[in-house]
Amino acid sequence: MRTAVTLGFLCWAACVSAQPKSAVPRATDGKPDLTGVWQGGSTQRGNWEEANAGNGVGGTGRDPSAAAAPSSNDRPAGREGAPYQPWAAQKVMEAYNRRGIDDPTALCLPPGLPRVVMLGLFPQQIIQTPQQVVMLYEYMSVFRVIPLNAPHPDDLLPSYMGNSVGHWEGDTLVVDVTGFNDKTWLSGAGTFHSDQLHIVERYTRVDKDQINYDVTMEDPKVLTKPWVLHSTLMLREGTRLEEYVCAENNLDPREYEHLLKDGVNFKR
Amino acid sequence: MARTSKLWRLAIALPLLATALPAHHSFGAEYDATKPVTLTGVITKIDWTNPHSYFFLDVKDAKGNVANWKFEGYPPSVLVRTGWKKDVTMKVGDTVTVFGWHARDGTNWAHSREVTLANGKKLFFGPPAGTGDGGNTPAVDVK
Repeated sequence: MRTAVTLGFLCWAACVSAQPKSAVPRATDGKPDLTGVWQGGSTQRGNWEEANAGNGVGGTGRDPSAAAAPSSNDRPAGREGAPYQPWAAQKVMEAYNRRGIDDPTALCLPPGLPRVVMLGLFPQQIIQTPQQVVMLYEYMSVFRVIPLNAPHPDDLLPSYMGNSVGHWEGDTLVVDVTGFNDKTWLSGAGTFHSDQLHIVERYTRVDKDQINYDVTMEDPKVLTKPWVLHSTLMLREGTRLEEYVCAENNLDPREYEHLLKDGVNFKR
Repeated sequence: MARTSKLWRLAIALPLLATALPAHHSFGAEYDATKPVTLTGVITKIDWTNPHSYFFLDVKDAKGNVANWKFEGYPPSVLVRTGWKKDVTMKVGDTVTVFGWHARDGTNWAHSREVTLANGKKLFFGPPAGTGDGGNTPAVDVK
């Protein structure tokens, strides 16, 4: 009896501490509803302004000398090294040593996956129905239409954003992505891949405010083993996606060219 | 009570540890993070454009010579979410002070971080120094 009471208390304590801050919204089919506008690469709750105050992206200017928030070309603190084959790691280093000027997005090309999901400067929107999930990204105005419980088409052309199909495993949306070209970076300066890239994403909404994003990248041509990253998407109520037409006034490639011509020293 | 207030302080401090990832391509390539600049001048032109916005500033030196400086910063959608209103917050003719980092080529252009407006209000016009250049740690471990 005493043991049962103790166990009961322990369970109560564990259950209370493990309880999510708010319930997971459900769709009519009972699945977690991922619908909403989200910010990648953040762990902060609240609306856009609240979550990005201080030194955050789109901050309000309170502390300009605060440490730089890492960009999608930076390796976040604590992350393990990407498992590139030695020759490929060399190639990643070359791009890093050129301070990311070879970034495909500098030419206004689509950012690819999983980079676009984990960047925080621009919001993304998820629209979910029982048959498909649609993901819209403000950055470069790219989108994904993800049919559920459907196979990949067998006539895929290599593409920047790949071809996505999804299914539910319990409360987790699992998205399988294939059909990539080799023209995007995965996560960090120079993190190239081949057209053999295969990505599996797992979206788990753990409470009203947060989706856990777990992604596995496989590429036998350049990686030694699957590369696994964990990130979060945070709900940003009241934020709307804006237009982003990158080619409008892209002066940076010209500047890079000019710097290289002048023999700029990119040494850190 | 004291405990509560400590918790509150923690709750306030935590957002500062956020690691949201900007998407900008390399600012760090064009600008030198070791060369901060603070300049005051008169706005001559503002371009709210993608992928980056620009504004131009007439800056007078001690001898009274005027030089026009170019500053690069966030795209329009990010400016809006950062608190800027196009044609309202900052206009041609306004006197502002800009903190940022000088271009590597040493000419009159810079990456803008913080703008102090004519009314004293401060807003970020661009990301921190070095944004997009790969940071201090490459994605792969090197021996």
